[in-house]
Amino acid sequence: MSPQSGSAWPLFEVFIRNKQGLDHKHVGSLHASDPAHAVTLARDVYTRRQEGVSIWVVPSNAITASDPDQKADNFDPMASKIYRHPTFYDIPEEIGHM
Amino acid sequence: MSNAIPETSLLTLADTCLLWGHRLSEWCGHGPALEEDIALTNTALDVIGQARALLQLVAHRRTPPTTEDALAYFRDPHEFRNLSLAELANGDYAQTILRSFLLAAWFVPVWEALEKGADRQVAAIATNASKEARMQLRHAHDWVVRFGDGTPESRRRIEAAVASLWPRCGELLDVEIDGTARTARRDAWLSIVTTTFTKATMTMPPMGAASTPNSSHPDRVTLLTEMQSLARQHPNAVW
Amino acid sequence: MYTQALDVPDIAAQQAAPHAHGASPAEANFLARIARDEKIEPQDEMPEDYRKSLIRQISQHAHSEVVGMLPEGNWITRAPSLKRKEILLAKVQDEGGHGLYLYSAAETLGASRDDLVDALHSGKAKYSSIFNYPTDSWADIGTIGWLVDGAAIMNQVPLCRCSYGPYARAMIRVCKEESFHQRQGFDIVRALCEGTAAQKQMAQESVNRWWWPTLMMFGPHDSDSEHTGQASAWGIKRISNDDLRQRFVDVTVPQAAFLGLTLPDALLKWNADRGHYDFGPIDWNEFWRVVKGDGPCNAERLNDRVQAFDDGGWVREAAAAHADKRARRAVSAASVRIAA
Repeated sequence: MSPQSGSAWPLFEVFIRNKQGLDHKHVGSLHASDPAHAVTLARDVYTRRQEGVSIWVVPSNAITASDPDQKADNFDPMASKIYRHPTFYDIPEEIGHM
Repeated sequence: MSNAIPETSLLTLADTCLLWGHRLSEWCGHGPALEEDIALTNTALDVIGQARALLQLVAHRRTPPTTEDALAYFRDPHEFRNLSLAELANGDYAQTILRSFLLAAWFVPVWEALEKGADRQVAAIATNASKEARMQLRHAHDWVVRFGDGTPESRRRIEAAVASLWPRCGELLDVEIDGTARTARRDAWLSIVTTTFTKATMTMPPMGAASTPNSSHPDRVTLLTEMQSLARQHPNAVW
Repeated sequence: MYTQALDVPDIAAQQAAPHAHGASPAEANFLARIARDEKIEPQDEMPEDYRKSLIRQISQHAHSEVVGMLPEGNWITRAPSLKRKEILLAKVQDEGGHGLYLYSAAETLGASRDDLVDALHSGKAKYSSIFNYPTDSWADIGTIGWLVDGAAIMNQVPLCRCSYGPYARAMIRVCKEESFHQRQGFDIVRALCEGTAAQKQMAQESVNRWWWPTLMMFGPHDSDSEHTGQASAWGIKRISNDDLRQRFVDVTVPQAAFLGLTLPDALLKWNADRGHYDFGPIDWNEFWRVVKGDGPCNAERLNDRVQAFDDGGWVREAAAAHADKRARRAVSAASVRIAA
C-alpha cells in the first residue's frame, strides 16, 4: 500500500450541462480534495472540448441508489398502466392532431 | 498603424508566455495527481496559445514579414525579451505553482488593460487571454493557499519558493509594457498577491529594488537549446 | 491509446477461469442477460470472476493510457514548430484524461484508484507493451499517432459496445477524442514524407521500428489466447485478436503506399482469394519478452511513474490537509453561530 493512501482525495461524481436548456448529465467521476476543487478539476477534465456550460459535483458516497434487486418490483408494475400513454386513445381521423 | 503597440512590448509578453508555457509543458505526464496533470496542461496550452497569437502578430508586422516559428526557433537566447521569472527551471511543484501565480497576477491586469486599448489586433488577443489568465490565477491562487495553509512540509516548500522567486518580482513590476499603466499594474499585482498570501497565512516579503537578473540567463539558454534543437537541425524543413 | 495483452494467458490464466461445476442459476441468469445484449451496471449482481476480470482489464487499459503519456511526452519540449507543440501537448493531455475516465470506470466495480495505481507501481499490473519502446526521433510521434493509435482505435471501437455500462461509456468518450489522435499522427508523417530527404528518411526508419510492435498490440493469435473465449462469452471482447489485426493491416497498407513508405515485411502481399493482405510471422519471443518486463524501456517507464507519484505525495497531502482544516473551521463557525 502506498504511503499516501491515507490522504487519498475523495471521489466525486461529475454532472455537466451541455448547453443552456438541457439537464445536467452524469459524465464520470474524479478525485479532488474538496467540492470546490472538484468543480475546477471537472472543468479541466470533462470540458476540454467545450462540452459544458455548467458543472455539478456530488461526493460519490452521498448518492443513495435504488436497489437493483428491487428493479422488477419497482418498475414492472408501470408496464400495465398503458392508459397513461397518449397512444392508448383512439382519436377520429377527422379531428386530426391532438 | 499609429496605435500599434511597439514590438518590444509584444515580445516581452510573447516570450514570457512561450517560456512559461514551455516550462509548464515539462510537467505533462509527471504531475502530482492525474487530475492536476490535466489541469496544469490546460494552463500550458493557454499560455502557449497566447504566445503563438502574439508571435504571429509580430511576425506579420515585420518588414519583410516572418513567421512565428522563425521567431520562436531561430532567435538566439539574448534576443528573447521575456521576464526572467518565466525561464527558470521548474523546481518542485510549490515553485512551479508560485511562478504561475506571480505571473498570472501580473498578466490579468495587463490583458485587461490591453483589452480596452487602441491596438485592436492586440485587444482581440487580450480579450481571450484575460479570461484564460483569470482561470490560471484562480488555479494557482488555490494551490498557494493550500500549500501555505496545508501541512508543515507544504508550508516549508512554498516559503522556500517565495524566497527563491521573490527577487525576480522587481523586474516584473518595473518592466514597461506599452498600453498599460505601470503604477496601476503594480497596485493591482500587489493587491492580488497580498490577498492570496493572507489567505495562505503567509507574510509577503518587502519588495526590494529590482535585482538585475543574471545577464547570461543560464536557464533560458538550457530551455532554448532543447526547444530549438530539432528545428535547427533541419533549418529548411516544414513540419 | 490502448492496451493489448489483456487476454494473454500469463496474466489471465489464474483468474476468471470458467468454473468446472455447472453454472448456478444466478450465473445462468447473468449469461442470459449478456446474450440479450443487456448492459450490466455497477449495482447489478454479477459473477465475481466477471468483476475481477473487468477490474483487471479496465485498470490495465487505464495504466496504458497513463504510461503512454511518457514516450510522446518525451518530444513535447522539442516539437519542431509551435503548432506541433500545441497539438502534441493537447494529445498527451488527452491520454491522461482517458486514463482518468478508465480509472473512474474501474472504481465503479469497487476498486480504489490508489490500489490500482499501487499494483502498477509494484509491477503486479501490466500495461500495453508498446510503450516500452523508445521514441528516438520526432517521426516516432507521427508513427505512434498513425499506427499505434490506429491499432488502438480498431481495438477500442468494439469496446464501446461491451457489456459493462461504465466501461462502454468511458470508451465512447475515449473514441470520440481519439479520432483526432490518429489524424494528427498521419499528418506529421505526411509532412515528413512531403519534406526534405532527411525528413522522409526519418519517417521510413520510424515505420520500420514501429510496424511489428504495432501488430503485436492486438495480442497473441486466437489459437494461443485461452482467455478470449471467456471474455467474448461475457460480452467484453467482441472481435478476435486475429480479425482485428487483419483489419488493421488491410487498411494500413494503402495508407503507407499513399505516403510512399514501405512496410518492413517481405511477405506482405495482397491475397485475392482471401480478399486480405497476407503478412509475415510475428516474433512472439519479442512480444513475451517485452510483456514480461524486458523491453527497451520497461524500467524507465515504471520508474518515471513511481517518481511522479512519490514526488506528488506531499502535494496531495497538503490539499487533503487544507480541505480538512477548512471543513473543521466551517463546523466550528457553525457551532459558534448556534451558541450565539
